[in-house]
Amino acid sequence: MAYVATRGGEKAIEQAERLFRQDLGTIDAQRVETIRTTMPYLIDRVMGEASLYDEELAALALAQTGGELSEAVLVLRAWRTTQPRLAIARPVKQDEVLTQRRISAAFKDIPGGQILGPTLDYSHRVLATDVLEGKPFAPPQVEKATSPAPAKQPSLADWQRQQGLVAPTEPSDIAPEDIPDLTREPLLFPASRAHRLQSLARAETGGVLALGYAAMRGYGNAHPTVNELRLGEANVLVRHPRGTEFSAGRVRVSQAEVTSKEKGGYLELGFAATFGWNEVKVIAAATLDLNSDEAPVGSPVHEEFYLYHTESVEASGFCIHFKLPHYVTFQSILDAMRDTKAKKAAAEAKGEVYVAEPEEEPVL
Amino acid sequence: MSLASLTKDWAATSYGFLDASAKRELRRKMLKAIAVPGCQMPYASREVPMARGWGTGGLQVTLTLVNSASVVKVIDQGADDGVNAASIRRFISRVSGAAETWDTLSATIVQSRHRIPEEIMREDQVLVLQVPNPEPLRGVEPNISIARQMHADADYGKLWLTLYEQIVRKGRIMQGASYPAMVNGRHVMTPSPIPRWDVPKLNMARHLTFLSAGREKRLHAVPPYTRVEPLVFSDRPYQVEDHADLTCRRSGVRGFFMNELPQDGGGSVFEVSDSNLGIKAIDKADGSAIEIGETWYRNGEYSA
Amino acid sequence: MLTVAPPDAVELRSNATFEALMWALSRPGDIRTLPDAGFDAIAETLVDLECSAYADTSEMRERIVASGAMLADRIGDADHVFITALEDAGQQLAEINCGTALYPDDGATLIVAAAHRGQRLRLSGPGIKDATEIALDLPSGFWAMRDLLCLYPEGFDIFCVDGDKVIGIPRSTKVEVL
Repeated sequence: MAYVATRGGEKAIEQAERLFRQDLGTIDAQRVETIRTTMPYLIDRVMGEASLYDEELAALALAQTGGELSEAVLVLRAWRTTQPRLAIARPVKQDEVLTQRRISAAFKDIPGGQILGPTLDYSHRVLATDVLEGKPFAPPQVEKATSPAPAKQPSLADWQRQQGLVAPTEPSDIAPEDIPDLTREPLLFPASRAHRLQSLARAETGGVLALGYAAMRGYGNAHPTVNELRLGEANVLVRHPRGTEFSAGRVRVSQAEVTSKEKGGYLELGFAATFGWNEVKVIAAATLDLNSDEAPVGSPVHEEFYLYHTESVEASGFCIHFKLPHYVTFQSILDAMRDTKAKKAAAEAKGEVYVAEPEEEPVL
Repeated sequence: MSLASLTKDWAATSYGFLDASAKRELRRKMLKAIAVPGCQMPYASREVPMARGWGTGGLQVTLTLVNSASVVKVIDQGADDGVNAASIRRFISRVSGAAETWDTLSATIVQSRHRIPEEIMREDQVLVLQVPNPEPLRGVEPNISIARQMHADADYGKLWLTLYEQIVRKGRIMQGASYPAMVNGRHVMTPSPIPRWDVPKLNMARHLTFLSAGREKRLHAVPPYTRVEPLVFSDRPYQVEDHADLTCRRSGVRGFFMNELPQDGGGSVFEVSDSNLGIKAIDKADGSAIEIGETWYRNGEYSA
Repeated sequence: MLTVAPPDAVELRSNATFEALMWALSRPGDIRTLPDAGFDAIAETLVDLECSAYADTSEMRERIVASGAMLADRIGDADHVFITALEDAGQQLAEINCGTALYPDDGATLIVAAAHRGQRLRLSGPGIKDATEIALDLPSGFWAMRDLLCLYPEGFDIFCVDGDKVIGIPRSTKVEVL
């Protein structure tokens, strides 16, 4: 077909994909396992943004995309689309989480104690260049405390409620299957709190950080104090059709509660949680949640603004879609522009004045 | 009842890629979209193995419709061999076993980005348009909650005002593609970024059109024989692109929407944007028994 | 890298059922053929655990529960309403969900058993070139009740099932009783 002979598009795209994959080389189970075991925080971030908890699949996605994070998240989310939903787990309660780290900046000490757990917070961020000179870095052994910290830690907010510092919660008897699921229904505004928190849980870490940071710097009206930050493992409790409840496994989770100031006689709380351990994300997200209610429409801390613009797959996809050809729409704009110019020239030739102000047209 | 009765045997992917519940949700929303023409229906919009903004909304609709007897045509900017069109078409046939075609007349489903084919679509055909931004009011009201209220109130004053202002400032309406249109006398929709040339093809059409925005999670429809009227003032008629007198340098066809190719020495040459129409014209001129369907435009004039 | 499952019986049936429903609603008054007679395939095609549904027979109620959907006690709580014996439209349908101007998609889908004969009707509106005439055996007050309830774009959409034949009447259709 003569018309297409000069295009050769299909062959070019196939070879371009081959080039990308050839650069990454053969992917085998060993590579996937190495990524899984050596990059747990990266795996956590990807599982959180994909809203799919499976370390092996997340490692595979990273291997397959060479660590291109938005691609890795997309490939996992797309895989998730093909899977049926079998059951709905019971909500996780703070004091049931097997807690490995739980700290509060609001008090020097808290009921249950400040449990530091694993963290780099107080380390000196020095690159271990010795490794590159052939001296492996073997981390020094942890010295065990005389008595282990309890596996479960109470909720600080519960204690604050008992003291009358935080508004009492209305017990909600909503059945797990009636909790709205953002991945199966559209996000509408004003968003239900469940949708807001689910959307933040799967939001892009960098995006949440950017907008959360904007809120912290002063574009929001609430400066956060970390009331409680918790990293732990939660049991996934599901109900068998015969009625028995059982654990389908454990997932690593992060939760943050931030507070700012008094409102109606109580401390306000912002909350966020996500799959995996990702402290920056949950603190930033909880700050956005905290700022939401009083945020002016259109501001970066208004829920419609931050939920739409931190959606990783949508944001990255739309950004890269501008690489696609747009010559039909462009042609349509050119046509209108040339017509105006012709009219102007015709008017001037007749000695008339053609009034036209420069104007930016909305690009749709 | 057992866990097994709730699920199915493990499979890496479902037929047509989307799982059964995703398809059911789309079916429900597609029916509602038909029932209220031009009204944007929110849907969950599952992730598919393509980036958002690359036709994921259109793809979800097509994957819901497709079966192994379907014949699928996919175009981007009018071309079947555009890289993304080719990639989408290959994906659809791979996950469904549907046949692929470049010929508008043979297709049961035409998925398109930014164009409607020039040959008139039939009563049994479905056109699926990929939509980047489903909200015609976005330019005058970026907040979607407020825009939704404006649709509910049929409050399109701001939109009319911007069109009026363009006439005052520039002497004409400057909207290029995505020209807003009133559907069934009630809802203003964006016809997706098709050129103005293509909008009349939706008015009282024989075929069914779905317009689906995957990233924005909205879909709307134009059923057959439904009024689609571009927003114009009665004394300023609707103006399509001035392509009626252009001739395709390859196929020689004339009076269709063209791609402009700038030339080294200045000036431009033109090629017909509906690339398969060009191919068919060339093949026909070479003596092949090729059927070119009736076209919406004849001698550069809309006449369907 | 992609292994695709062949379509199973449910997929084949649902795909064909949806095609019939889609064209029925796109061309109000046209008679389309469902792959199976009755309501079962329609429920299988549209209803699952994200829905609420109402039915007036125990068989359909069981079918709804098995799909995972919430069984509604009242018509007004259902997004899908399956009626085998529509006797008194006024009473039975008065509560049907018609959505809101903000969310017209919340309007219910009514699937009703109705013989495709009897009362002559003239239909016009989207999907119909000029006007078309059909016959439907529905209680006499039905169309007046629909006029009262459907304040376009609010309203409900109807599939009239007669064996394996279906006629669709969306809320956008103007119905004149002849």
